[in-house]
Amino acid sequence: MDHVTDVDAVRRPIHEAHGLPNAHYIDPSIYDEEKHAVLFSGWAGLGVGAEVPEIGDAVPHTFLGIPLLLLRDKTGKVRVFQNTCRHRGMILVEEPRKIEGAIRCPYHSWCYSTEGRLVSTPHVGGPGQNTHDGIDHALLGLIEIRCYVWMDVVWINISGDAPEFVDANAELVTQWADFGKPLFHGGEDSTFQLTLDCNWKLAVENYCESYHLPWVHPGLNSYSRLEDHYHIEVPEKYSGQGTWVYRQLKDDAGNSFPDFGGIDNKWDTAAEYISVFPNVLMGVHRDHTFAIVLTPEGPERTIENIHLYYAAPKTDSNLRAQNTEQWKLIFNEDVFVVEGMQRGRHAPQFDGGRFSPAMDGPTHLFHDWVASKLQTHRNAKMAAE
Amino acid sequence: MKSLDRQLLKAHDANDTAALVSLYTQAADHTDDVDAACFYLTHAYVFALERGDKAADALRERLAARGREPSHD
Repeated sequence: MDHVTDVDAVRRPIHEAHGLPNAHYIDPSIYDEEKHAVLFSGWAGLGVGAEVPEIGDAVPHTFLGIPLLLLRDKTGKVRVFQNTCRHRGMILVEEPRKIEGAIRCPYHSWCYSTEGRLVSTPHVGGPGQNTHDGIDHALLGLIEIRCYVWMDVVWINISGDAPEFVDANAELVTQWADFGKPLFHGGEDSTFQLTLDCNWKLAVENYCESYHLPWVHPGLNSYSRLEDHYHIEVPEKYSGQGTWVYRQLKDDAGNSFPDFGGIDNKWDTAAEYISVFPNVLMGVHRDHTFAIVLTPEGPERTIENIHLYYAAPKTDSNLRAQNTEQWKLIFNEDVFVVEGMQRGRHAPQFDGGRFSPAMDGPTHLFHDWVASKLQTHRNAKMAAE
Repeated sequence: MKSLDRQLLKAHDANDTAALVSLYTQAADHTDDVDAACFYLTHAYVFALERGDKAADALRERLAARGREPSHD
């Protein structure tokens, strides 16, 4: 029988709530339960559009064990398919590459268009006979996964029944409407990965709050103090933090990145950092944005895929490198924290922890969201039984 | 034909799909056996599809004319 945890204490008001029990960070059966309840049921981040900049670009991904293919079809549309042939379930694309024409299965050469249509089934009716009454091409296209691109993040809904992305995330899309415009990926020097020995949720939780900034990021605190930050809390949707004192990066000659056009004056000095539940961490500033797509790789391992974006297609490469380095330093400073919390989850008498009612609101909001998703999932399962 | 076989193997080894389209088409053109020709044409067609080669249309038409591909897709 599956291990069922009690998440009622998580859902209490923050001053008396406990965090999610240890099992939610270390138990494979709970990890599997959360996979369905939390990550498959809504819109999760898979990658970014910049991974497939040109028509025909295709990049295989493994998302919670599912082989997926992210590609840009012949019309320029980003699509996500199960990366498996409809014939024998063979993996279609093993490495990132450009699809020049059709996707040919390397096993028996069934061919698919980049829109997922089954184009040819060689020898399916015998040698040189490429049709058979039992094989209807119209019914055997690639299995497509719902996807939506927002701020260049490719969001997918594995369950297939979530509300439309823009409806599910209406508040956030509105809150950041100023950045709902073309974003330009900085290229190879503006992406990096961090491998974390922790559950994916700890990366989200740490990102939600500013409480840790003066202790963990003393450099950041030198100009953006704790009291300069504010909570962002939209119950059941997203949470994070903002600062009123964002300072633009400048090179020795005083040059900075170009600003996004037509944005509110608020952004002259404000910046916001939001955990878009379940697994994408995003930040916006007057002159750049970033997205961190978390790829869970088991209960105690997570990959952070970090991408930086600018307001113009061409920006100064030295400045970009400096910006990447600055964020790399900050994100690296968080590694010992999330990995330390992960090891802490093996202490059997740890009770999920207590929250600071004043400072941990955004973190508790995430715990509450996870708990509510689990309850919904468990109730539906019980009803089905 | 032995020379063609050797060239085909070489093209397969090199994953030279342009050569594979051409060589399988030649193989089809060099046989009077319709089934054998369609076998080769199928391979030429598949590699043409994979590489987005314009030859795919004509190869498909040849196969469709012999009832080996759907008449329209």
